[in-house]
Amino acid sequence: MRKHKALLVLLILACCWTAAAAEKDMSIIEDILRKVDEQSSFPETDLSAVLTMIIEDPEEGLEKIVVRHFRRDDGERFLLLIEEPRTQRGQGYLLEGDNLWFYDPSSRKFAHTSLKESFQGTDARNADFSQWSYSSSYKVVDYTEDVLGNFSVYVVDLEAVDDTVPYPYAKLWITKDSNLVLRTQEFSLNKRLMRSGLFPSYTKVGDGVIPTQMIFIDELVEGKKTQISLSEISTAKLPDNVFTKAFLERANR
Amino acid sequence: MIGVILKISARNVWRQKKRSFLLAGAIAFGMFVITAINGLTGGVVDNIRVNFSHALGGHVFISGSEYLDRGTIVYRIADDEKLLTALQQNGESIAAVTRRSQAMPSLIFGSRQAMQLVYGVDFQQEDKLLGSLVVTGGSLKDVTNEQLIILPRSVAERLGVEAGETILMRLDTVTGQRNVGEFVVVALIEDQERYGISAAYVNRGYLNTLVGLGLEDYQALNLFLTDMEQADALGQSFRAALGVPEPKRLAEVQDMDDEEAMAAMFGFTRASEVEPWEGIKYQVTTINQIMEPVEAAVNALKTIGLAIFIILLVITMVGITNTFRMIMIERTKEIGTMRAFGMQRGVVRNVFLMEALLLSAGGALAGLIAYGLAAFILGRISWDTVPAMQFFLDQGRITFTASFREITFNTSLILAMGLLAAYFPAKAAAKLSPVKAMSSNL
Repeated sequence: MRKHKALLVLLILACCWTAAAAEKDMSIIEDILRKVDEQSSFPETDLSAVLTMIIEDPEEGLEKIVVRHFRRDDGERFLLLIEEPRTQRGQGYLLEGDNLWFYDPSSRKFAHTSLKESFQGTDARNADFSQWSYSSSYKVVDYTEDVLGNFSVYVVDLEAVDDTVPYPYAKLWITKDSNLVLRTQEFSLNKRLMRSGLFPSYTKVGDGVIPTQMIFIDELVEGKKTQISLSEISTAKLPDNVFTKAFLERANR
Repeated sequence: MIGVILKISARNVWRQKKRSFLLAGAIAFGMFVITAINGLTGGVVDNIRVNFSHALGGHVFISGSEYLDRGTIVYRIADDEKLLTALQQNGESIAAVTRRSQAMPSLIFGSRQAMQLVYGVDFQQEDKLLGSLVVTGGSLKDVTNEQLIILPRSVAERLGVEAGETILMRLDTVTGQRNVGEFVVVALIEDQERYGISAAYVNRGYLNTLVGLGLEDYQALNLFLTDMEQADALGQSFRAALGVPEPKRLAEVQDMDDEEAMAAMFGFTRASEVEPWEGIKYQVTTINQIMEPVEAAVNALKTIGLAIFIILLVITMVGITNTFRMIMIERTKEIGTMRAFGMQRGVVRNVFLMEALLLSAGGALAGLIAYGLAAFILGRISWDTVPAMQFFLDQGRITFTASFREITFNTSLILAMGLLAAYFPAKAAAKLSPVKAMSSNL
């Protein structure tokens, strides 16, 4: 009888030890996520660039949109001004803290919109042009180690901490050595894959790094994707009036 | 004396059958046209109103929204105590209550997608809805599949999908998170896009799970009334109970821009003017508010009809005046003889006027009979094979609803104009001297 009891105790101890060993240390990944966010933000400088978007739509064909992008992370501001195509020239987006405005020069009116919305019907969201906030918006649920191309990566499963982000679940492929996000997958509330993102090239800008090429694939509509290339990247100080409604209105005169 | 006048007048009308027939026929044609226009437009308005109410799920529509702490506006009626109390107070006027959810998702099939308004309905509760939909493909016999979708034909064509196939629905939850649902297309229905309604229908429970609501939650409570005429009164009662300001009418918003007009008419708050609020903010809309633009168009049609009718009457009046002048000349000797036998001038005038009255009344009656016959025959024909017309029809049939007030007005107008047309020849006939009239060579 005593032998059986001893065996049972040993068995329980063994189970507890295995469970403890199996529980991963998520804090490593949480640190990495913080680094990902930090190196993609520019609190000390402004950022400007020209975004060239090529949208592949099986119904509409190929479309090109050229956008001038101004960003000031101190105060969470950005301004997007569409330069091409001519029919949309002068349309723009202005982020002022929590408020995102869309300006249409034909009606000369500002309309309230959201960071969660897609940008001009592309596969990019308005939030993709703001600074990343994975560490504050998501919690790490699990991770594995893998190889993506020539890079050793962490494959991180994330779950949104609240409903302020459009995709409640996400998966990131982050390089181990440089904390660069190479690939993303974003999932719906019922965990269906909705959008994939590829970030094949980065450039160092000041103290941070930003992707110079982004590819967003719509996983629900066959063959629909958007490729975004960044050029004319600068961290030069921008005038304060750039991040105002008046600037958007004046830009069309 | 009236009996004598009536007798002489009737004899005179009957004496010149062909002429009387032509004059009365012209009047009858005018009466037929105006009554047919009134009847047809009246029937169309009634049918659109009924079909709208089935498609929208009621006669009075109550929706609610909440303002969350972080600035998100959520469209749902979660705490409906106040609403249920108002419902109880107006119970006698309410025939049925339906609860709906709705979304504006993107429907996807293969590489094609289309934005579409989708109503989440309880198909068991809304049996009248299924009866009002015009099916052009598939069937509505079995609506038990939780993930079914009833799709407007035009949307199905855009997507290239047919009944029996599965489509995806990409939508946002009430707090703005992305979600995806799978739906089986059970039926394709005739689209009502051009009349302002283009909706797909799905089960409310499944739509609720996709938009992040509870199975029994709803975003709009719609009321079918025992008497549709009570819609405005009931809307007012619910607005008072729920603290909703009275909306402006179409005529009051003519000078406003579209956004401002919508806000004033339907109580929507302009996005740029959203102020935080506590609890549920309700919106109460009635079928009459929605029908206002349709009725404005129909009233314009009726005004055109009335103008045509008056032109026809004026032409007929000229005909009547000329005819009575001719009659006066033809009957000069007869008038002289009657005057010589002691008939007063007033009686001579009244004989002429009574003839005009008989012709006008006969024409109006004939026009009404012709309208009745046309309405009966056209109302028996089924137009099921013309899907585009279904929204104007009552279960595939044309209906005519000319109001008593309109018929009375038109008949009075005809009689008055007939009398006016005959008045001057009648007056001239009454003024004839008996001696001169009897010695006349005519």
